Amino acid sequence: MDDKIFSEIPMRTWRWLGVNEARVPENLSDNVKKQQILVEAGQKDEVVLVNREGSQLEVQVHIADGGELHLVNAQLVPADTAVTSRVKVYVGKGAKFSYTTVEAGARHTAAELTVDMAGDDSVSDIWGLYFGDGESKIDLNYVIRQKGRRTDANMQVRGALLGKSEKIFRGTLDFLEGSKGSVGRENEEVVLLSPQVRNRSVPVMLSHEDDVDGHHAVSVGKIDEGKLFYLMSRGLDMADAQRLIVEASFNPVIDRINDEALKEEIDKVLMGRLVNG
Amino acid sequence: MTEKKKTYIEDIERTLYDIKDEDRSVYKAHSGLTEDVVRDISTRKHEPQWMLDFRLKSLDVYNSLELPTWGPSLDELHMDDIVTYVQPDAKMTGSWEEVPEDIKDTFDRLGIPEAEKTSLGGVGAQYDSEVVYHSIQEDMVKQGVIYTDMETAVREHEDIVKEYFMTLVPPKDHKFAALHGAVWSGGSFVYVPAGVHVEMPLQSYFRLNAAGAGQFEHTLIIVEPGASLHFIEGCSAPKHNVTNLHAGCVELFVKDGARLRYSTIENWSRNMMNLNTKRALVEKDGIIEWVSGSFGSHISCLYPCSVLHGENARCEFTGVTFASKGQNLDTGASVIHAAPHTSANINTRTISKAGGMATYRSAVKVTKNAPFAKCSVNCESLMLDNLSRSDTLPVMDIEGDEADIGHEAKIGRISDEAIFYLTSRGIDEEEARAMIVRGFVEPIAKELPLEYALEMNNLVNIELEGTIG
Amino acid sequence: MAEKLLEIKDLHAGVEDKEILKGLNLSVNKGEVHVILGPNGSGKSTLMNIIMGHPKYQVTSGTMEFEGEDMSGLKTFERARKGLFLSFQTPEEIPGITVENMIRTAKQTITGDKVKLVPFRKELKAQMQELKMKPEYAQRYMNVGFSGGEKKRNEILQLLMLQPKLALLDETDSGLDVDAVQIVSEGVAKFHNENNSCLIITHNTRILEKLKVDKVHVLMNGQIVEEGGAELIEDINSRGFTHILDAQNEAK
Repeated sequence: MDDKIFSEIPMRTWRWLGVNEARVPENLSDNVKKQQILVEAGQKDEVVLVNREGSQLEVQVHIADGGELHLVNAQLVPADTAVTSRVKVYVGKGAKFSYTTVEAGARHTAAELTVDMAGDDSVSDIWGLYFGDGESKIDLNYVIRQKGRRTDANMQVRGALLGKSEKIFRGTLDFLEGSKGSVGRENEEVVLLSPQVRNRSVPVMLSHEDDVDGHHAVSVGKIDEGKLFYLMSRGLDMADAQRLIVEASFNPVIDRINDEALKEEIDKVLMGRLVNG
Repeated sequence: MTEKKKTYIEDIERTLYDIKDEDRSVYKAHSGLTEDVVRDISTRKHEPQWMLDFRLKSLDVYNSLELPTWGPSLDELHMDDIVTYVQPDAKMTGSWEEVPEDIKDTFDRLGIPEAEKTSLGGVGAQYDSEVVYHSIQEDMVKQGVIYTDMETAVREHEDIVKEYFMTLVPPKDHKFAALHGAVWSGGSFVYVPAGVHVEMPLQSYFRLNAAGAGQFEHTLIIVEPGASLHFIEGCSAPKHNVTNLHAGCVELFVKDGARLRYSTIENWSRNMMNLNTKRALVEKDGIIEWVSGSFGSHISCLYPCSVLHGENARCEFTGVTFASKGQNLDTGASVIHAAPHTSANINTRTISKAGGMATYRSAVKVTKNAPFAKCSVNCESLMLDNLSRSDTLPVMDIEGDEADIGHEAKIGRISDEAIFYLTSRGIDEEEARAMIVRGFVEPIAKELPLEYALEMNNLVNIELEGTIG
Repeated sequence: MAEKLLEIKDLHAGVEDKEILKGLNLSVNKGEVHVILGPNGSGKSTLMNIIMGHPKYQVTSGTMEFEGEDMSGLKTFERARKGLFLSFQTPEEIPGITVENMIRTAKQTITGDKVKLVPFRKELKAQMQELKMKPEYAQRYMNVGFSGGEKKRNEILQLLMLQPKLALLDETDSGLDVDAVQIVSEGVAKFHNENNSCLIITHNTRILEKLKVDKVHVLMNGQIVEEGGAELIEDINSRGFTHILDAQNEAK
């Protein structure tokens, strides 16, 4: 059971890198939470999902033509728990899918996001945040398939790794044949905060259509020393300065959450662990 | 208005490359791969026992390994049909006069003897499985530089070969490395003693003439501390209707403070499976520079790997890949940062057209032992139509926190506005497209030796005719 | 009798289903400087692009003649070879093609002759000096990493090197500081003589200070609604466009 594959990368590569598949976490609870979200044509909706216990979350989303959905998926399970999340999204013509996801807890988390931008002029705007500390493992596989004409995809991921945490982020933009006039942007920024972390980043871009504009970028490194120095010259100590910088990189994601109480809860979890890490 | 050329890819002018010589080989191994074939090759080469043992062990490894589970499909490769060893009717010589007429003509057409006179410090020429010509300038020899074919090296420099041969790419690495270990033949051996700077490049040219054959040349280069070398590798083959296989192996040892530039323009014909393995081990303050142009072959899997083993070791990788009809070119690079303060720059351009498939694949690994590693990757892909495919699949695997890794990739087509701008200056559409494509590969072209840059431009021009009209 | 260079009659044109030019008439003689004024969105840039034959735009009716020859079947590069030149409002960045290579290639195709490198370089260097462009810019890629002002100077450099019969200047002075406008206008003034003509779109009168303006056209809503001499510029500057529209409506 331990070795079961939870999710696969759309295009395989060298095995020794260990990124081809995300495995089902050990000691995963059998508790499966299923959720279906339907946004009718022209409707606008917001759904907030918060996982505090460690179940298997399975979400199916259908956004009909011209519909709009903002889905918030916050994973705040206890640090000794395993958790998975699988989100499948269909985006109709002229429809918009906004996604804000926070991976802030768990000992082992695996998450898959698949967005089918089937409709012409559909938009998806994906913002993700992950935070690893202790011995936590974070294994993510996000795929956006751009099928319609003039689709617009944006995938922005911010992360920080502490302790002995390990993380794999795979982010795929797939321009399918016929996706003329589509644009796709993907960007991951990772801050490394401990010498024992392991970070794997796999930004994949597949294209079967010439009339597209795709761009991806990844940056991995320590906290910018110039920024640290600037803040410390203003009287902050190292820990405060670090916290402030990490917070700043997380803010574009957290600011998208409208629920103030949830925002505060996430902030508390993250900052509390950042200090202890 | 001049009439537009309507060339299609099928009728591309490859005359220069496509002239097949009559097959006058004196010996061909049986097709397929058996212990007898391996023993036979070794006997014919009068090899020492350890090399035969090495071959046989590699054969065992080959039989025990599976094909890779990623990358282009290799279904069309039937090892039982491949002739692993083809001995041309020629002995290795140091004088072009002694090279048989038809073989010499081939290299004349490719401009090798001419280039030797003007811009090279030494030349090696391999025809099918054996090297037929090898020569190096006198003053280089005086400084202790060795440049010869691998067979001679096994005989005359046995200790060095034994110390390094297939230690960097061990046969168990992958199935085709094992295959190479079992049936390798030909290739070049270069040894540059400490502190010696080889001013003019050395060039080895590999030509596969026989149909249904494999070429498994082994290139072993050792650049001792503080020395420097520019090595150029060229490859081509005429078009046959059966699958040819190239599974060469390149092992480069760059010692403390040494510098090696390894340039390749690969233009195999469109029936070639090019499954080549290239690797460099770079010690303290050493520099490896790869310049890699992939234009030919039916299927290519090529990812030169740099192991940055010593502190401050550096890698510069510059690559261009052009995939056209019937081609699936899976190329890229990998870098392993295994020491502190190592750095790498990877810069690639890929073009795909007329149904060609191009994949950029890379791995950047920073181990725990490599604090302050720095790596920046930039890859851009240009698609000339929507029949083609272009994929980008980089992996970064970083351990520790003292690393600075950046990656950027772009995919798209020639912009209509850029075409309008150029045509508004009087340049016709076809030339405007060609200029933009040439501009796209310019950062790579400028890294190539002049004659290769010209050859690359010609290849780009040949490939582009037929995209309009 | 003045020689006709460009003559546009009852031109209807646009992009996809949208008509932008709605019956435009314009005539430019050899040796003249014309200025087109008009509010944003009136179709000024579209007109420039259509004269140059941008494939995005379709001409639905009307005629355009250059030196008495119908231009309708001509592609962009053929128009350039006949002596038309467009200085772009936002010049394209083209990686990998150097300024020198670009201009030399263009000059070769326009003149049909091989352009010798040494004299060409000498001329290029001299012109760049006049435009206060650093000589190393000749080896830089077309507009890549150029500031707004450098891009515009690069356009004028091409104008001076290619010596067209008709220069279409699309807001060549926009977004520039005072010094850059000065350099660019001197470049245009240097280019202009009795054998060539300029058609200028501008919001700025400074570029015109060194030129004798022969005629001013006011373009609104896809048509030339008012024509006059240089004095019209002053008028528009002080009173804006609305009064012209009002006057028109009254006339109707």
